[in-house]
Amino acid sequence: DVASAVAAIRALLGFLKQDRGETIQGLRSSLLAAINTLSRVDSSVAVSSGGELFLRFISLTSLEYSDYSKCKEIMIERGEIFLRKVSLSRNKIAKLCHPFVRDGARILTHAYSRVVLRVLEAAVESKKRFSVYVTESQPDQAGQVLINLQKMAKALRKLNIPVTVILDAAVGYIMEKVDLVLVGAEGVVESGGIINKIGTNQIAVCAKAQNKPFYVVAESFKFVRLFPLNQQDVPDKFKYKADTLKTSQNLTEEHPWIDYTSPSLITLLFTDLGVLTPSAVSDELIKLYL
Amino acid sequence: SGELMDLIRTEGQRMTAAQPSETTVGNMVRRVLKVIREEYGRLHGRSEESDQQESLHKLLTSGGLNEDFSTPYPPLRANVIEAINELLIELEGTTDNIAMQALEHIHSNEVIMTIGYSRTVEAFLKEAARKRKFQVIVAECAPFCQGHEMAVRLSKENIETTVMSDAAIFAVMSRVNKVIIGTKTILANGALIAVSGTHTLALAAKHHSTPLIVCAPMFKLSPQFPNEEDSFHKFVSPQEVLPFTEGEILAKINVHCPVFDYVPPELITLFISNIGGNAPSYIYRLMSELYHPDDYEL
Repeated sequence: DVASAVAAIRALLGFLKQDRGETIQGLRSSLLAAINTLSRVDSSVAVSSGGELFLRFISLTSLEYSDYSKCKEIMIERGEIFLRKVSLSRNKIAKLCHPFVRDGARILTHAYSRVVLRVLEAAVESKKRFSVYVTESQPDQAGQVLINLQKMAKALRKLNIPVTVILDAAVGYIMEKVDLVLVGAEGVVESGGIINKIGTNQIAVCAKAQNKPFYVVAESFKFVRLFPLNQQDVPDKFKYKADTLKTSQNLTEEHPWIDYTSPSLITLLFTDLGVLTPSAVSDELIKLYL
Repeated sequence: SGELMDLIRTEGQRMTAAQPSETTVGNMVRRVLKVIREEYGRLHGRSEESDQQESLHKLLTSGGLNEDFSTPYPPLRANVIEAINELLIELEGTTDNIAMQALEHIHSNEVIMTIGYSRTVEAFLKEAARKRKFQVIVAECAPFCQGHEMAVRLSKENIETTVMSDAAIFAVMSRVNKVIIGTKTILANGALIAVSGTHTLALAAKHHSTPLIVCAPMFKLSPQFPNEEDSFHKFVSPQEVLPFTEGEILAKINVHCPVFDYVPPELITLFISNIGGNAPSYIYRLMSELYHPDDYEL
């Protein structure tokens, strides 16, 4: 139920606690090795951004204290605080985003996003009635997950939200009926665009063509220091699963799992740092990596 | 000062609830709250640089909670009053500041279009008229027809003015070089709440690739987003649209007379305010300078 970036950071924090090294340099290199191992198992954008954030966190803290053992104590303490803050971020986002779901709205969403589900829950709690269209989201039918199994899907039905599953190909057909599009993101890039499950770019283009608002909900630890200009620029290690990267002969024959949506197609981003226009995202990233 | 802020916040909530479409009231309350926070922070010993906003950086480095505003400081009151006086002086000078920028934007022999009556735009055009010769077309902005008053005032300054009806906006747009308008409110995503008819004007300008310039002082910038709580909408008596003398028809139809229009940020080229010219995508940055995120919801 936890975002993969948060799980990665938790793992790294545990690793930090057990580390026997005596220097910052040693710590950094062992952390880099740990992050590499993590990405070899799950090569998604989220794990990479979580890892980078953690490394940055270490560097910033180490700048303030020169004594290593004191430094390590502070790091562990701050790490715990960070994890706690981050667990509240979904609720913050839900609070910001649910006023945008009007009464009687028809929402289109894509694949399986826990943040989107939390937002919809918050909208139901504020007594709004709306219906949801979900794309089937091949190749793993993540959309179906919302209907068939999983406590989240059943929870949607329990909250009496009428849900309809549509084919990925039917997005253009259904777009005239929807009022807004709401998706999550696996990563938010420097330009303000997002990296998300394959098919998101199509939905964004259709939404723009029909003048429907396209909202993205993402926590701030998903901000990543990439600046892709087109689909090719997204690194291969994010596009394919870790197993595929290891075993396949020719990557061009594999189907990518993610795509890049450019910021001109996105109306607003809801994050735990507030409601941002895509141009504000790079500002936030600069503030961190200054 | 925590108590002071709570007092101000309650008063602010009461005032905004009375007339939600007057967003400047709420904006000013937020400015004052930010002033108090800053003065408190300065006395408390925090440096000016330290970020009051949420940021990734803050997430990573902050050790614990933020301040609770409970330490009393005697000089705080005097400092706050002084800062508020500075704010008042700034507010009084806004129209002049905006008008001073007029010469950079208006050139000789241009045709400018505007809609309705805006004091800021009037001052802007008058200032430019002192040195340049240009024409103005005013859309009358039914049903209140404030465009007429604007035209009278402009022609007193010897500016060649034409009044036309709102229906003719698109027809005339091909001859217009620039569109300059005022607004009621600027929203956090760079959108406008302006007089009814402005959206049509903006769409026509977009179609002809005519730049749309909005002259508005910074106190009109409101940290709200356009969402379901459309409390910006104000409807007045439909008497202006269809007079009560047409009694028979009135029984059979619904008549609305909205006062305001929403203009999305993509249609706007430039905002001219007392701090200079800015693009709509930059509005979020101005907001973070004027208001504190905790005050966005009064």
